[in-house]
Amino acid sequence: MLVSIPKLDLTDLVDPGLSPVLLTRARLLAAEHEKLSGRLADSFDAKIAKRAGELAPSTAILKEWDNANESILELKALLEDPETDAELRSLATEDLESSREALPALSDRLKKSLIPRHPFADLPCLVEIRPGAGGDEAGLFAYEMMRMYMTLCSRKGLRPAILKQDVEDGPSEDRLSEAVIEVEAEGAYDLMRTESGVHRVQRVPATETKGRTHTSAVSVMVLPSFPESGSAMDHALNFDDPTSDYYIDPQEVRVEKMRAGGAGGQHVNKTESAIRLTHIPTNTVVSMQDERSQQANRRKAWQVLRAKIAEARQEAREQELVQLRRGAMGGVGKMGRGDKIRTYNYGQSRCTDHRTGITLHNLDDVLTGGDGLEEIMESVRTWMADREVEAMVAEDLAKEEGKKKLKK
Amino acid sequence: MPRIRPATLIKAYYESPLLPLLLKECRTLESARNELRWLREHALRPIPHQHQHQHQPNPTWKTRLASLCRKRSRGYPLQYILGDQPFGDLEILCRPGVLIPRPDTEAYVIKASKIIAQIISTEQNASPNPQKSRSTPLRILDLCTGTGCITLLLHAILAPQFKNLHIMGIDISPKALSLARSNLNHNLQLGLLNNRASTDIQFHRANVLSPPPPTNPTSDSEFDTLPPPVETILREYFNVSNEADEVDHLTLSPTKVQCDLLISNPPYISKKDFRNGTTSRSVRLFEPKLALVPPSPLPNTPEPTSRYGNASCCDQPEDIFYRSILELGYKLETKVIVLECGDLQQADRVVDMHRSMVGDEEFSVQIWPFTVEDMEYYGFHSGQGSRCVIIQRKSLIPLE
Repeated sequence: MLVSIPKLDLTDLVDPGLSPVLLTRARLLAAEHEKLSGRLADSFDAKIAKRAGELAPSTAILKEWDNANESILELKALLEDPETDAELRSLATEDLESSREALPALSDRLKKSLIPRHPFADLPCLVEIRPGAGGDEAGLFAYEMMRMYMTLCSRKGLRPAILKQDVEDGPSEDRLSEAVIEVEAEGAYDLMRTESGVHRVQRVPATETKGRTHTSAVSVMVLPSFPESGSAMDHALNFDDPTSDYYIDPQEVRVEKMRAGGAGGQHVNKTESAIRLTHIPTNTVVSMQDERSQQANRRKAWQVLRAKIAEARQEAREQELVQLRRGAMGGVGKMGRGDKIRTYNYGQSRCTDHRTGITLHNLDDVLTGGDGLEEIMESVRTWMADREVEAMVAEDLAKEEGKKKLKK
Repeated sequence: MPRIRPATLIKAYYESPLLPLLLKECRTLESARNELRWLREHALRPIPHQHQHQHQPNPTWKTRLASLCRKRSRGYPLQYILGDQPFGDLEILCRPGVLIPRPDTEAYVIKASKIIAQIISTEQNASPNPQKSRSTPLRILDLCTGTGCITLLLHAILAPQFKNLHIMGIDISPKALSLARSNLNHNLQLGLLNNRASTDIQFHRANVLSPPPPTNPTSDSEFDTLPPPVETILREYFNVSNEADEVDHLTLSPTKVQCDLLISNPPYISKKDFRNGTTSRSVRLFEPKLALVPPSPLPNTPEPTSRYGNASCCDQPEDIFYRSILELGYKLETKVIVLECGDLQQADRVVDMHRSMVGDEEFSVQIWPFTVEDMEYYGFHSGQGSRCVIIQRKSLIPLE
């Protein structure tokens, strides 16, 4: 043999962004895909087809990635071969460079394709905004944040609607005590879920007379919004089905229509239509009074209650996973809703996201729901994806270690 | 009525100078805030063209809002200002001269629809051929229909379940009937009612009190023609030939003339309660007395003879509608009778009246709501407020 190809040493080549664990996982999935495709060729089965469809993208990307690696190896071999002439050599060098450049992008895509989708990713969402510490100023900023998300969603053509807007006692209407925005578009949950957490504002409030800067907080919670009839949903998300994770037993919800004593019926003509729902096991309370129709208030209250409980249950499940992974990940947990995630500083006209560390010096653009806000949200989305992969890898590692221990 | 605390008024004023006006009628800050928001939305809506005068400058929405709030503070009902009231999933138009639908009535209608649906389904399961649907239509009679809200909501709820449905709304007031018909069309246009509603639903003018007081002062002044008694209308409705005509009997074989549900929200406020503060100012001043207080029977009227006993001398004057309605209900072999009453005491009196008329063997009677859950769910107070009497024929109560 004239040309000897050196023995493949994969560890050498593996892109540092792609851990061996992830690669193993990708290979396992690809193997599964191949097996399923073979079976599908013999006879069609809806379930198998669905699974194969899920696996197809990551398998395809893995193939691309493999091809890229292979060509790098071949090019390297070509370069190392003393018989290669100069012209070919320079071509090979160019090719090698471009392949090397393409590799990280491919690795990235592979990584993303392996991350499980969030169970609520395809759902529309509700965004709940509540002022935290900071009194009046927090209420004012909560109103501004509501406007910020409203414009962002309108700009993206997502038809946001104010489901509930409670104002605080005070001289103006722009002092929220609670607001819920409904974003009806599919996948809105995935878009907005980067926003859950505590947002901090640092500025001289309009109400401040001595020019001091205040720090106040507004908490944002992004909740999944379930369509009214659960039957149209995937099994796992069908809240009408008692076996679903998000099922709410109507027996556990106390429904109250608020009403004072005194005469009723024809004697009086009260226009109150407030409805309060209490989920007894978790003591979650939702009240709704914005609509004149009590039916409409009832529907909206249920929508919010379902969303809150589904989110809480999902959160609890994630928490469990975090507990499991803790050992493997060295205590890195996810950012909970109680964590401060972002600061809006008026004095320095900057907006910093504490998860990614990204800082933009165009606060106005962020607050008007412009490209700045989108940029920040995008960076957080990448960050979240990275965290998820890390967690998954850690989990796999932990499993493997467990196996090794067993063998011993 | 407790006085509004000055502190609350001041707080309201700082929030909006219009809020104290609304607080006068709403009594609580939350409720006043909501009404202000609804009124603002209404004021911001463009004015329909026919109301605009070319020469008068168009008032800005703020001026309009302020004048609406002043109107409201005098007790003028919000629903007459806004022009409608949600009732179930329907939007019921409201006009002065016709009683505004109450949330209590909404609850009774929902309850009644549940009961009738359950009875019919048990009946069908018990029949030898459960798959075969009923040959006779589901017949519902709504007496004193007013805006038509009960009739329309029953259709909205029951139409998907019952392909063959007849609902008739009866009222004495031509104003109410024309509004009820507008409401039928309005909700058809909004797509809130099934298209069948236009043929399934009929509204007719008739006098529910039997026999009609010959010279009723209210009816004389208000109506140019005397309304026919309700039985005349029903005879036509049920296609009864005139040969079977009798004074107060609908003599037909029971299978043919059966009515499934008779529901009514008749005038039930006593003259005393109308004046002594039990009835709120807004209702007293701006809603039609015709729909609230039953007419007093004239002296020297010969007592009507009835096969259901003659205890009307002992009836309270505010209960006179119930006797006529119950009598009609028995004659029509009604399966379920649902009657709204002003309070628990009145409901008790109606139950007693029913027992004295036909005894207790054939019927089961309940005053609803009575469980804490139902009261909380529909917003009833445990001791006060309206109630409804539900009378069911016993053979029809599903055995469990």
